[in-house]
Amino acid sequence: MEQRPPSITALFERHLALGAKMAPFAGYMMPIQYRSVLEEHHAVRSGAGLFDVSHMGCIDVEGKEAAEFLEALSVNAILKKAPGRATYTLFAHPEGGTIDDLIVYRLSRERFYLIVNASRKEIDLRHLAEYAGSYHVTITARFDLSILALQGPKAPEFFPAFQGKAPMEVWEEGELRLSTTGYTGEKGGEIVGPKESIQALWDELLQKGVQPIGLGARDTLRLEKGFALYGHELSESILPTESVSKWAVKTEGREFLGKEAMLRPKRYAFGVKLKEGIAREGALVTKEGEPIGVVTSGGFSPTLKEPIALLLVDRKLSINDHVEIAIRKRTSLAYVVPLPFF
Amino acid sequence: MMKYTESHEWVREEGDVATMGITDFAQRELGDVVYVELPELGKSLVAGKEAAVLESTKAAADVYAPLTGEVIAINSRLKEEAELINRSPEGEGWIFKLRISRPEELQALMDQATYLSRTH
Repeated sequence: MEQRPPSITALFERHLALGAKMAPFAGYMMPIQYRSVLEEHHAVRSGAGLFDVSHMGCIDVEGKEAAEFLEALSVNAILKKAPGRATYTLFAHPEGGTIDDLIVYRLSRERFYLIVNASRKEIDLRHLAEYAGSYHVTITARFDLSILALQGPKAPEFFPAFQGKAPMEVWEEGELRLSTTGYTGEKGGEIVGPKESIQALWDELLQKGVQPIGLGARDTLRLEKGFALYGHELSESILPTESVSKWAVKTEGREFLGKEAMLRPKRYAFGVKLKEGIAREGALVTKEGEPIGVVTSGGFSPTLKEPIALLLVDRKLSINDHVEIAIRKRTSLAYVVPLPFF
Repeated sequence: MMKYTESHEWVREEGDVATMGITDFAQRELGDVVYVELPELGKSLVAGKEAAVLESTKAAADVYAPLTGEVIAINSRLKEEAELINRSPEGEGWIFKLRISRPEELQALMDQATYLSRTH
């Protein structure tokens, strides 16, 4: 693949001024942490945190048959969703492998936008274009827009537009697209808009006392909630029905790309707590010595103060079942727990 | 007297016993430490070889034995309070103590001024 220098978001200078540790992520120089991953994690669980997620891709899908088009590509039902609703879903290949996981936002009968993973933007666009064929639909990449996530129990206090809203709502206020969606399991939402407005909003929210949060804490926050991260829990060789996102696959009374292939999953996703040690992605999982799968994400849960991991294994496990996870030269015992972890 | 390794460990020598840990520079680079794998008591360590593992929120980092010797104490508080490494890397966050078997190895380590000049 061609190596390009990383892109930057409209908030890059602000991250530097805040002293963030920056690193390339999905082609963007992004803030990994401002002060400490643990501090930032706790700030979101107990107060409010602000994330620059402008590396993610906004794609407008509009037209008379936009709903039918998205319905045909989406594992979750879109057609029956009313305007003003957002839906977590996945796109899959005809063979069932996952193209991406995303949120579909319905602004009106014929106007939708998607927010897709940074690492999958171009692939999503190609996928949409490939299947748009006979539908009356216009697909527009809106990678010019910036995106903020304001998350935490106090988020609605800092941003009153989120007050009194249910989760997974979407609406417009002027040039901003607001939604009560996120990736932390907390209250609050996401704000999409032109870069000048987003820069001004970032400054205003930080000035009010909201903490900036880097990608490090974004990962620990999503892992505690058992949410998938594309490239880890999901990939082109993992079916949506083999992942922690399988709840989003709605097969009854509807057809969609990849449906047949994903009806027969061969693997299963589970969450475990470890007795000791931190399990990292790729670690071998065994049951009584027999290899059964791998760790897809692992880390330390700052809220629970214990190590947790997501697994992809070749058999069904029950809550409290024990498995072993290879950590460097040793193995650690782990036991299956219900998701989310917290 | 504090001495420092190239791999960012510090060691404080008192007679034939040396206490060790990681430097303030190292803990800042590593980020929040959430889990510490300590060596076993009585284990013989060789200077420059793996002795302990620190897990941060981001990654695992090996800690190397600054000197050759036998582990005579470990900081058990780190099992429950790994954050001591970040809070007090050169104090309460010490990792283990060695009975030094090759005191001449101390000569090869850096003094504080040399170490600080390398990391600032």
